[in-house]
Amino acid sequence: MTEAEAPKTILEVRDLKTCFQTRDGLVTAVDGVSLEVAAGECLGVVGESGSGKSVTFASVMGLIKAPGRIDAGSIRFRGRELVGLAPADYRRLRGKDIAMTMQDALTALNPAYSVADQIIEVLLAHDDSLTGSRRARSRQARAKALEMMNLVGIPSAERRLDDYPHQFSGGMRQRIMIAIALACRPKLLIADEPTTALDVTIQAQVLELIADIRERLGMSVVLITHDLGVVAEYCDRVVVMYAGQVVESGPTRDVIDNPLHPYTQGLLGSIPRLSNLSERIRPIDGTVPELIDLPPQCRFLDRCSQALPACAAPISMRSVAQARQVRCISPALETALDPTPKVAYGGGERS
Amino acid sequence: MTDAVSRTELDLAGLRTESLFARNMRLFATSRLSLVSAGVVLAFILMALAAPLFAPHDPNETDLFRRLQPPAWMPGGEWAYLLGCDALGRDILSRIIYGARVSIFIGAAVILVATTIGTLAGLAAGYLRGWTDIVISRLVDILLGFPYLIFAIALIAMTGPGLGNIILALAYKEWVIPCRVVRGETLAAREIEYVEAARAMGGSRRYIMLREILPNILSPVVVVSTVRMAHVIILEASLSFLGLGVQPPTASWGSMVADGRSFMLDAWWVSTFPGLAILLLVLSINVVSQGLRDAFDPKFHD
Amino acid sequence: MKLGKLFERLVQLLPVLLGVSAIVFIMMTLTPGDPVDIMLGDQHVTEEQEQALRKDMGLDLPPLERFVKFIGNAATGNFGLSFYHRQPVMEVIASRLPATIELSLAALVFALALSIPLGVIAAVKKNSLLDRLATVSSLFGVSLPGFWFGILLLMLFAVHLNVLPVSGRAGFSSEVPPITYLLLIDTLLHGRFDAFGDALAHIVLPAVTLGLPMASILMRVTRASMLEVLEQDYITFAEAKGLSRYKILVKHALKNALIPTVTVAAIETGSLLGGNMVVETVFGWPGLGRLVVESIFVRNYPLIQAAVLIYAVTYVMLNFFADILYTVLNPRVRL
Repeated sequence: MTEAEAPKTILEVRDLKTCFQTRDGLVTAVDGVSLEVAAGECLGVVGESGSGKSVTFASVMGLIKAPGRIDAGSIRFRGRELVGLAPADYRRLRGKDIAMTMQDALTALNPAYSVADQIIEVLLAHDDSLTGSRRARSRQARAKALEMMNLVGIPSAERRLDDYPHQFSGGMRQRIMIAIALACRPKLLIADEPTTALDVTIQAQVLELIADIRERLGMSVVLITHDLGVVAEYCDRVVVMYAGQVVESGPTRDVIDNPLHPYTQGLLGSIPRLSNLSERIRPIDGTVPELIDLPPQCRFLDRCSQALPACAAPISMRSVAQARQVRCISPALETALDPTPKVAYGGGERS
Repeated sequence: MTDAVSRTELDLAGLRTESLFARNMRLFATSRLSLVSAGVVLAFILMALAAPLFAPHDPNETDLFRRLQPPAWMPGGEWAYLLGCDALGRDILSRIIYGARVSIFIGAAVILVATTIGTLAGLAAGYLRGWTDIVISRLVDILLGFPYLIFAIALIAMTGPGLGNIILALAYKEWVIPCRVVRGETLAAREIEYVEAARAMGGSRRYIMLREILPNILSPVVVVSTVRMAHVIILEASLSFLGLGVQPPTASWGSMVADGRSFMLDAWWVSTFPGLAILLLVLSINVVSQGLRDAFDPKFHD
Repeated sequence: MKLGKLFERLVQLLPVLLGVSAIVFIMMTLTPGDPVDIMLGDQHVTEEQEQALRKDMGLDLPPLERFVKFIGNAATGNFGLSFYHRQPVMEVIASRLPATIELSLAALVFALALSIPLGVIAAVKKNSLLDRLATVSSLFGVSLPGFWFGILLLMLFAVHLNVLPVSGRAGFSSEVPPITYLLLIDTLLHGRFDAFGDALAHIVLPAVTLGLPMASILMRVTRASMLEVLEQDYITFAEAKGLSRYKILVKHALKNALIPTVTVAAIETGSLLGGNMVVETVFGWPGLGRLVVESIFVRNYPLIQAAVLIYAVTYVMLNFFADILYTVLNPRVRL
């Protein structure tokens, strides 16, 4: 508790559970997720579609609407509880202290308004430094909008301020969306798949831009992605999600170099350094299970190549090393973490 | 999984419509409101077919002693004349029952003629393309340029009122609507594998249009026909109301409403009940068509 | 560029307008009976006079030449004489047109004012009681025969409650010198609020009767497009920006949702023209629609011909404007 209120942690999510009522039953899209974002940190959140990574941060943004709801858990932003926050208070927070960018700027920007309008409106909604009459505030906001366009690197920004979203290229649109999100200098930026909709060549530019601005503004960034490569390059820490749960978390270097959870290993497509598992891990077979009425067992069980009989019980997160946690009971973990690798695990469970 | 595969195979074999149509009808039957409405429509059809059995009186029998006699539950009413009588002392209920014949017959005849012509023209335009398409599409554009009722009225002004002329005047523009729908669907169906397969196997144009494409575009045609039927019934009633429909003494709902206009002050029932009959029938048809639309493919939201 | 495209679209209208005129021309040519006989009716004229009239009307020319002449005349508003009124057809129509335009505009305003808020609320409160009520009402709205609903309204408000006039456009005391020829506007321009109230009382029932089916259709369109828009990413993004609910619904959602509504409204305005004949007959409204109906019974063919052509041209132009409006409202689709 006291730790959560320490200024070092800007966002703390504890045991978050977000459900959606559907015709087929209750879908638990996020099931007991806990994570933290430190001030100034860049956290990578990795998982397939359906892993609950986007829903987790939609919950943080307070964007869960019926038929969805937050069932349990706590979300603390700079020590302030957000679950159950009054809509008006949430509104003052969103876009100001916590901002978000979406996957595809083409659909996230309103086609009916100029980009200037869409930057200005967020400033008018939140920026207290704007003063004077409505006209005066609009004028100041417009100047700031231009500043933002320059900041995110739109060429000849002044001339393009009144253009419509469809008149920009994909990369430029993404930059404009970032400009909108950053207009009020938020403490935390949630970037939901910022590069998925972009060409490979543009992807790096956009990520560099986010990294650059993060440094300049000293904000925290959550990078939601399915690409571990992106995480490796830009994130300090990483959280791996699967089927609504966090399955592994830790410093990026450690997780990438030595993935513990079979799912993370599968994502990396690497050979785990376990001497008795010297065969290559196949690409992960099967799909993310439907999140309705899940049996109380390890959610990765059906796809896991290292399953044990004990995996048919609920598995909880456990700390395995400095700042590392994993949701797996495989004894192989200990071996993997051991600085002096043993020859083989002696158990008879697997041949 | 296997189910999906076999369905795809059915698609390719061109057998899709039967199964799809059956599935759609099952979906339709799950809506209680749609079923009730379908029941009401059937009741109206039955009433029209067997009018002499249902009507308590001769619809044209005048009785000046019963002039503007109120409905049975009002003072001065008689149970033998449930909904009262009009200015000539004719039984309103009997005239409504006989009036159903006019509305339903004209509605059905117009839709039948228009759907047949429109479907064939749409198939030809969409499948043959080229000049056929240009000529048909231009004609469609031009006919769409006329507001419906005005076009019908102008035609009737030329030809004079009468059952056949009314049907012609309405069908003359009505075929345009199924034609546009069918043309669009045909253009899409043209590209589907089973049609291409049939073409590759050397099927004649007529065979492909009527046997391969037509069964697969029936659903939208059925939905459009029902919506339009409701519309045509209102149009016919409007024509009758203006005095351009079926001529007296034949009972038609529109002209019955018109008759009652002069007695708004002291005999509200003369206009009210025939209008209620139109509303009930048209509303039921619209609900049925809505149900069909919901049950059928969601892709044609007109 | 933009103007060029606009011009191109206008040029594309020409074949349709020509076809429409051809059909009107053919319909009139095929009309049974000799037009001169019909026109003269019971009047006794000499053989020479009749021949002169025939020549005057161009009936002695071959069909194609007559059609060309007809187009030329139509383009200049020359539709011949209405013998029934003993006036040029165009003058008769011009005298009735403002009443019809005023009624159509009033019905349009009523339909928009009713359907857009209802459609938005129904979409925002999807599946609520209000949504269901609105959906059911719209089904009634399209199923109501206008002539009957008009009579019901008359019986209720004019006969039983006696709060609104039974028929006509305005009382004698409400006459004002014409400026726009639209009474509701002219009375206001003259500051005659009593006369404005009178004109308003006269137009309420016809406008409601005429506008109701349109309102039902527009309500459905607005609801459906609003539902679709509310699902869009840019709405979520607007929420993520911390904008007020009002800003999100009205600024971000409604402007996009109204694109189909406005397009359909423009098209449906054309169908108001058809409804005019019925509604004007019910309410004794002195407009073009009633004139056409009256003309049918007196076989005033030149007038019917002109009216049908005017209606059709208006209709085609409305569809054209619907097209233009769509592109104007939707910055993604440039002309």
